Amino acid sequence: MRIPKSLTRIQILGIALTLFAGLIVFQMINIQTSAHAKNLNQWAQNYGYQVTTIQSERGYIYDRWGNLLAGNKEVYEVGVELQYVVNPAAIASAMASIVGSDYTTILGEASQPYVEGQSVYVTLADFVDSDKIAEIDKLKTEYNKSNPNGQNQILPSLLGLVWTAHLQRIYPENDLASNVIGFYSYLDRENGRGYNGVEEEYNDLLAGIKEQVLIPLDPYDLQAIPTAPAGASLVLTIDREIQRATESILDKAVKSTGSVNGTIVVMNPRNGEILAMASTPRMNLNEYWNYSKIYTAGVPFNKAISQVYEPGSVFKIFTMAAALDTNTVKPDTGFVDTGVIEVGGVDIYNWDRGAWGPQTMVGCLQHSLNVCLSWVATQLGTTKFYEYLDRFGIGHRTNIDLAGEEVYPLSEPGDPTWYEVNLATNSFGQGVAVTPIQMLMGASAIANDGKMVAPHVLKAYIQDGKQYNTNTQIVGMPITADTAHTLTNMLVTSLKQESSDALVDGYSVAGKTGTAEIPVNGEYSSSQTNASFIGWGPSDDPQFMVYVWLEKPATNIWGSVVAAPVFRDEVKQLVVLMNIPPDSVRLNLQGN
Amino acid sequence: MTETANHSRRPTPFWKKFNFSQAFKQAPWRSQIQLVGLFLLGLVIVMLVAGIYLSISGQAAEAGLETFNLSYERRSLERTIADTKAQLALITSSSVMEQRATAMGFEPVDPTNVVYVVVPGYTGRQTAILAPPPGITETQGAVVKNEYRESLWDWLFQGINRLSTSVRGTS
Repeated sequence: MRIPKSLTRIQILGIALTLFAGLIVFQMINIQTSAHAKNLNQWAQNYGYQVTTIQSERGYIYDRWGNLLAGNKEVYEVGVELQYVVNPAAIASAMASIVGSDYTTILGEASQPYVEGQSVYVTLADFVDSDKIAEIDKLKTEYNKSNPNGQNQILPSLLGLVWTAHLQRIYPENDLASNVIGFYSYLDRENGRGYNGVEEEYNDLLAGIKEQVLIPLDPYDLQAIPTAPAGASLVLTIDREIQRATESILDKAVKSTGSVNGTIVVMNPRNGEILAMASTPRMNLNEYWNYSKIYTAGVPFNKAISQVYEPGSVFKIFTMAAALDTNTVKPDTGFVDTGVIEVGGVDIYNWDRGAWGPQTMVGCLQHSLNVCLSWVATQLGTTKFYEYLDRFGIGHRTNIDLAGEEVYPLSEPGDPTWYEVNLATNSFGQGVAVTPIQMLMGASAIANDGKMVAPHVLKAYIQDGKQYNTNTQIVGMPITADTAHTLTNMLVTSLKQESSDALVDGYSVAGKTGTAEIPVNGEYSSSQTNASFIGWGPSDDPQFMVYVWLEKPATNIWGSVVAAPVFRDEVKQLVVLMNIPPDSVRLNLQGN
Repeated sequence: MTETANHSRRPTPFWKKFNFSQAFKQAPWRSQIQLVGLFLLGLVIVMLVAGIYLSISGQAAEAGLETFNLSYERRSLERTIADTKAQLALITSSSVMEQRATAMGFEPVDPTNVVYVVVPGYTGRQTAILAPPPGITETQGAVVKNEYRESLWDWLFQGINRLSTSVRGTS
C-alpha cells in the first residue's frame, strides 16, 4: 500500500489515535447498551443489595456486685451449600460423630439437588458449640489436603459444609436465682423473648432493636453498615452469695420438714432492695424447655410474688401495729384470755384451744393468741382495722419489677363476701390472702421507722454507656415511727421470752411466727398448714428482713417449730455475708 | 474604444503591489502540528482526569470493601467479647468458686468466729459500677481528620481566611 504523499506521518498517527479513541468510545457505548448489559443491570438490581437483619445483642444481667447472671455465648448454625456438596455421606458422618446429629437425616438433607433460587442452602444443626466447630473445621481442612476441592468423589470431603456464628443466651449460674431472672427463649431466633422474672419484665430494655436494613453490595456505594447498639444491661439488687446461701437453706428446710414447697425472701427494709428471693421449684435456665415439666398446672414460676395464701399469725403484726398507732392498746395493756371470743356470732379459739389467762399485748404476740388479737381488732373497730390494712398495702399489688405478680382482693365491709366474723379471722391472718412480697412490703414500715418501701430487684441499668441507678421509693407511712419502734421492741421481747428457735446468738432480732390452716374441701385442715416466719434485724438498725414460708410441712405443722429455725439459719449466714458484727461489737464501735 | 479602455484602466495602488500576508503566513505543516498538539493536549487532559477519577473510584471502592470487612470483624469481635465474658462467668460461678475454695481448704465461717476490725476510711464494699453515670460528657476526638472531610475549595478558602486573619493581626 502506498501512502499518499499528502498525509504526513503525524497525520497518520493522529488518525490512528482517533480511530483508537473512537473504538474505545464505541466499545463503551456497546457495553452500556448490549443485551448482556441489560442482563447485568437486571442482576445488579436483583443482587446489588442485601437485606440484612440487624439485631442488638441482648443485654446482660448482673448481680449487685457485677457477677454475670445472664450473658451471651457464641454458637454456630451449621448448614450445607448444596451447589458445592460433593460427598454428602462424609458430611453426614462428620455431623453424626462430632455434633451428634442423626446420620440418615443429615444424609438426606445434604443429598438434596441444587436448584438455583429454590434449593440452595439447608440448615443441618444450630446452637453448635465452638469446640465442635473447631473439630469440624480441622476435619474439613484434613480432607481438603488429601482431596483438594473434592475432586475425587470417592474420598471424603466436607466441601459445601459451612457454619455461621451467632449468639445464644446463657445463664452461668444455671438455676441460681432462676425465679427472679426468668428465661429467654433463645431457640426461637426470630421471635425469642423473655419469660418470667426480669427477663420478661425488662424484655424491651434488654432486647434493644431489631430491624431489617438494605445494604448495597456495590463497594462504591457502601458508606457505612448500620449497627444495632446492644440492649441495656441490668444490675440487680440480688446478692449472688446471699441468694446461693438462701437457696441452700431453703432446699434443706423443705427436705428436712417434708414440705411440699418453700419460699425465702431477704429484703433490705431501709430501701426495698431484694437481696435474695428463693422459691421452689427452680429450674436450670439454660434448659428452659423443661418449664412445663417442672411447673405443672397451678405451680407459679415464683411463689414469692405469684402465690397468694392465708398467712396466719404473721399477719398479727399488722393488727397490733394498727392498734398501737391508734392508741387502742399499749404494750402493757392487759387482756384476760378465756380461750374463746365470739365475733359476728362465731366463736373464735386459740391455736391450741386453750385459755391463757391474764396477758399483756406482748404476751398476746408471744403466745400468738387468736382470741386476744380478735379482741384487739374489735376494740380497734372495723373501719380503722381495714383502713390500716389498706395502708399496709394488703389487697394491692406491690408493683415489684418482676413479671407475674398476683394479688388477692381484700374483702372489706360492704363486699358481699365480707361477714362480721371476718374482722376477727382477718386479725390473725385467716380469711385474707397475701403473697410473701406483700407481707414484706407491709412489714417494712414496722422495721423502717414507719416508712413503707417499694420492693424492687433492679438496682441500675446501663444504656448507651451510662449507668442509671434506681432510687428508693417510699410508698406510704402507715404508722408513726414511734409505733414502729414500739412494735419492734415488743416482737424482740416476745421472741426472747419465748426462747424462740429464731434467736441468733449475739444479735437482736424482731419477728413473728405464723401457722395457717389450709382449707381442704371447704374446711380448714388441722394437719395441713402454711408455716411462716417474718423477722428483721438488728432490731435497732434493721439491715435485713427475712420472710420464710414452708408449704404443708410434714414433720411438724407449727411455724414456730419448722419456720423459725430456718429464719435463724438464714440470719446466721446473712450477718457473715453482710458483714454485720454482733450487737455488742457494733454498739461498741458506734460508741467509739 | 481604445480611449475608453484606457480610461477604465486605473493605476494599481502601490501598496497592492506587495503581498504582505504572504510574509506572515505560517507554513502549513506548522498549523497541522499545532492542531495535532492541541488535540493531543486535550486527550492527555481527558486521560489525566479519567485516570484520577478511576484512581479515586478504586480507592473509594477499596475503602467500601474495607468498611464492610471491618464491620464484619467488629461483629465478630463483639461476639468474641460476649463469649469471653460468658466463659469467665462460667469459671467464676458461685458453684465453681465454692468447689475451688473447698479444695483449697476453706470452709464456711461461723458468725461467732468472725473477728471484726475497724479500718479507718473504709466505707464498705461498693456495689457494681459498670459505666459512668449520666451527665458526664466524654470528649472524643474526631475519628476522621478534617483533611479527609473538606473539599479543595474549603481548604483554599480557609487558608485564605487564616492568612488574612494573620495579616490583620500583625498590622
